[in-house]
Amino acid sequence: MLYVFQVLNGIGIGMIYFLISIGLTLIFGIMNFVNFAHGAFYLLGAYLGYQVALSTGSFTLALITAPLALAAIGWLSERYFLSRLYDIPHTYQILVTLGLSLVIQELVISIWGPVGTTVAIPEALRGVIFIGGFPYPKYRIFVVLFAGILALLVWFLLERTRYGALLRAGSESTQMVSMLGIDIYRLFSATFALGALLAGIAGVLSAPLRGTDPFMSGEALAIGFVVVVIGGLGRFEGALVGSILVGVVQSVMSSVWSEGANIMIYVAMGLVILLRPRGLFGRA
Amino acid sequence: MLTRRKLLVTSAAAAVSAPAIVRSAMSAEASIKICNFYALSGSTSSTGKTQFDGVRLGLEKLSKDYAMNVEQVTVDSEGNPGRLLPKIINELQNGTRLFAGGSLSSESLAIMPEIQKAGGVYVAATGADEITGKNCNRGTFRWLVSTYSAVQQTIAPLIEQFPNAKRWYTITPKYVFGEALLTNVTDLLKKKGLEHVGNSYHSFSESEFSGYLTNAVSTKPDVLVFLNYGSQSSKALRQAIEFGLKDRMKIVLVWSGGLEQYEEVGADLLSGVYLGCQYDHQIDTPVNKEIVAFYQSKLGKPPTYSHIAGYVDNYLILEAAKRCGSSDPAAIIKTLEGMKYEGPTGAEEVRAGDHQCLKDYYLLKGKEKSKMKSGYDFVDIVSHGRSFQPVEETGCKMT
Amino acid sequence: MIMFGKIARDPVSWASLVFTTVLPFLIASVVQATEVLIFSTVTLACNLLLGYTGFLSFAQSAFLGVGAYACGYLLVHSGSGFLVSMVLATLAAAAAGALVGLLATQKRGIYGVMLTLALSQMFYFIAYAASDITGGDNGMSGIVRPDIVLFGAKLLRTDNATAFYCLSGVFFILVCVLLRLLLASPFGAVLVAIRENEERAIAIGYNTRLFKTLAFVISAAITGAAGALYAMFLSFAPLSNIDIAMSEKIVIMTVLGGSNSFFGPVLGATAYVLLSNVLSVVWQRWLLLLGIILILIAGFLRGGIWSIVVWLWDAATNMRSRRNQKNLAATQEGRQLI
Repeated sequence: MLYVFQVLNGIGIGMIYFLISIGLTLIFGIMNFVNFAHGAFYLLGAYLGYQVALSTGSFTLALITAPLALAAIGWLSERYFLSRLYDIPHTYQILVTLGLSLVIQELVISIWGPVGTTVAIPEALRGVIFIGGFPYPKYRIFVVLFAGILALLVWFLLERTRYGALLRAGSESTQMVSMLGIDIYRLFSATFALGALLAGIAGVLSAPLRGTDPFMSGEALAIGFVVVVIGGLGRFEGALVGSILVGVVQSVMSSVWSEGANIMIYVAMGLVILLRPRGLFGRA
Repeated sequence: MLTRRKLLVTSAAAAVSAPAIVRSAMSAEASIKICNFYALSGSTSSTGKTQFDGVRLGLEKLSKDYAMNVEQVTVDSEGNPGRLLPKIINELQNGTRLFAGGSLSSESLAIMPEIQKAGGVYVAATGADEITGKNCNRGTFRWLVSTYSAVQQTIAPLIEQFPNAKRWYTITPKYVFGEALLTNVTDLLKKKGLEHVGNSYHSFSESEFSGYLTNAVSTKPDVLVFLNYGSQSSKALRQAIEFGLKDRMKIVLVWSGGLEQYEEVGADLLSGVYLGCQYDHQIDTPVNKEIVAFYQSKLGKPPTYSHIAGYVDNYLILEAAKRCGSSDPAAIIKTLEGMKYEGPTGAEEVRAGDHQCLKDYYLLKGKEKSKMKSGYDFVDIVSHGRSFQPVEETGCKMT
Repeated sequence: MIMFGKIARDPVSWASLVFTTVLPFLIASVVQATEVLIFSTVTLACNLLLGYTGFLSFAQSAFLGVGAYACGYLLVHSGSGFLVSMVLATLAAAAAGALVGLLATQKRGIYGVMLTLALSQMFYFIAYAASDITGGDNGMSGIVRPDIVLFGAKLLRTDNATAFYCLSGVFFILVCVLLRLLLASPFGAVLVAIRENEERAIAIGYNTRLFKTLAFVISAAITGAAGALYAMFLSFAPLSNIDIAMSEKIVIMTVLGGSNSFFGPVLGATAYVLLSNVLSVVWQRWLLLLGIILILIAGFLRGGIWSIVVWLWDAATNMRSRRNQKNLAATQEGRQLI
């Protein structure tokens, strides 16, 4: 029963990871741009959400405004800055976005201080329900449902809308798409903004769980990349399955080999790269 | 010799410190120079700023109390012993012999031999047992207590208070400090005939504790003991409460960070949780009341443990200097050994055998939010006392 | 002998000698100059992979740590001398380099980078888990600097800071010379070819994986030797040597100085050490400035500090027209620019 519960808990963890990694996989898979600042979007989302919740007392408002702010930041930074970097080698994209991540982190510390903060779980979502004798927080169920709905929306966006078709086409060949008369760069800005928005939502949602902490961007980035690699670049199913897998591994490991929970994620990533480099769902 | 570097660092320190305490090396005689270091930048810099404020304000008060001219030199360890050591060696070459501080135990352990080699004095602000244990040396002293005392003064009183609590589960960070805490806990539980129903190790950067908490729940413990600290302990605590564990078992965090951690976590989460701490601003001793009043006047809020650590570390140096009438490090070391003084926790003493200060450790309990008398009144002191292993058992062989 | 002649004519090798001699006077602290030299060798090794082979490695801290721990362990527990400890530490790091290289070069591009990151995390994990050997989060203490003894004759007492600086200086110059020779050799040319167009290199018939792995081994060996020296310098081997922040730092230093030149990384290491010493006390958030500089350099000024220095030098001595002609000739010949 313990292990069943651990798996369920893992799915819960995985849904947050999904929100982080779906943005990264879209940006990486479709725009071929390595964004090491993605974790910083997560960080900003958490802190902006914290600030809004603190100032207005409303978590709902935080959940709406912070991600929108992140979308705006994502759009602007892509449009006026990051787009100049598409042609440079991946290596330097990593370095530039690493620098950006550092800048954002230090800004956050300058504004909110080096010690973390707590964001209260909204009243309505407090408390636990019992699954097989194990308590499970209502808030985490909310997160799973919310992320699930978002997953559906994103899937719909990708599979059933023109924008999604363009994105998928763009991931195969940006040249083709632009030759068909589509402003591929507008497409990219929108995608980047979407990725930032989703990361921001992940940040706001996870703040009540883990609190905010100026150094949380590194961990989010690591998880994001691990999931993207395991699931396959630019693949929605990959991000979903990959994140749930990572979450489950983490959760089950804590009963099997507790101190190894963290490192197993990297081992899993390493194995996937070596054995099935395109990931579970990636195209050849 | 006034090198460009020394001037730069001193004037840099002057730029950030209150003008009152920093005098340049050229001014009044009978000047005593103390170098304080902590992690100001880098990813471990969460307590650095508070320590820095604690020292800055503390020296403001201390230099007035002692009517001494204190030249304060600040060094940023960057949370990295490798970056710290050359800076400390630099200070040693500049003639600095009196040191205090540290944000990470590895920083202290790295510089201790170097300072002793130069015949200097170092008062450590970090918690690894080895500092006054296996790695002890004649130049190093420490105010805060280590894992043995912390565990004895948090777990033992709880055992006494809750005789029906037979099942104990621990959550431990998998590194040396965590292991030390765990060993002390398991020894104590075995001695008292209680059941250690399980332990979950977690890695240094872990932030997802749901798996470990679930594991804990499956063993049906009476008490859940957190042996981690800092932001990890805050996260673990948050998640434990989120899982409703507070209603099912007692929760105790053995090595808490004091007021700044309470502020970070918040009263809602903290109420009913047991915490162990080196210090609390409510301690009822004349010395503490005076210190708290001072910091309160400067900060607008009570001091936290990190502030006080900075204060006391420098106080020890200055008090010893006053008693022996000189700033010569060898004389200060001799004076410090066995020195009895009135500290924040009452009558305290620097044990000669391992240079560890004998002071109280506190068991606190989070208050109900409605019972808080002020925005900083998070905890009640449940018990306090001092427990120390005899010097022979600490592994310290003082040469 | 030909090699000797090549080196004697190589301006960069002489530059390293000049640099080593002048540095302590510029920084006014022998101890910090030693720190600069040690990190300079580390960044040079990193650039062998980054600048010359085009492979961004986040595993450099693993090699630094392995070298430091290996050397430290030998010095503390087996009373080996200087030479034995250095050599064994270098070999240990080279072995780590082979492991990382073999695994990381399996995949190209971003996946290779991700692998180095994952492997780096694994080394870190092992380091703090095996706390009985490494001291875990406390670090390895009690490392005593050995004197340099050859055939029973004491050559050098290293516990003097100046003596140790000279030792580090010799090490630095040796590394520079070795790398210069390596890069001027066919091996070096293949590395550059791999960087420029790996498909073509494969098409010509080179086993690019082998070359990349060898580059890893060499880079790791140098970094490990630097790690050993570092452990002796600090008399301590902290866990921070092997964590991901150290890898990031190394990469940042390399890029800062200029990853498309030989000597750039040295400037990067120097600048970083100096900046952090001076700035961190005045402005705790100085990393913000570093982040901005990193963005500018990595994004728009790949030549880094070195290119700025060269530009200033050219402007000052009006050599630009002459340099342009020389550069043009060099590019046409496909040689690496200084």
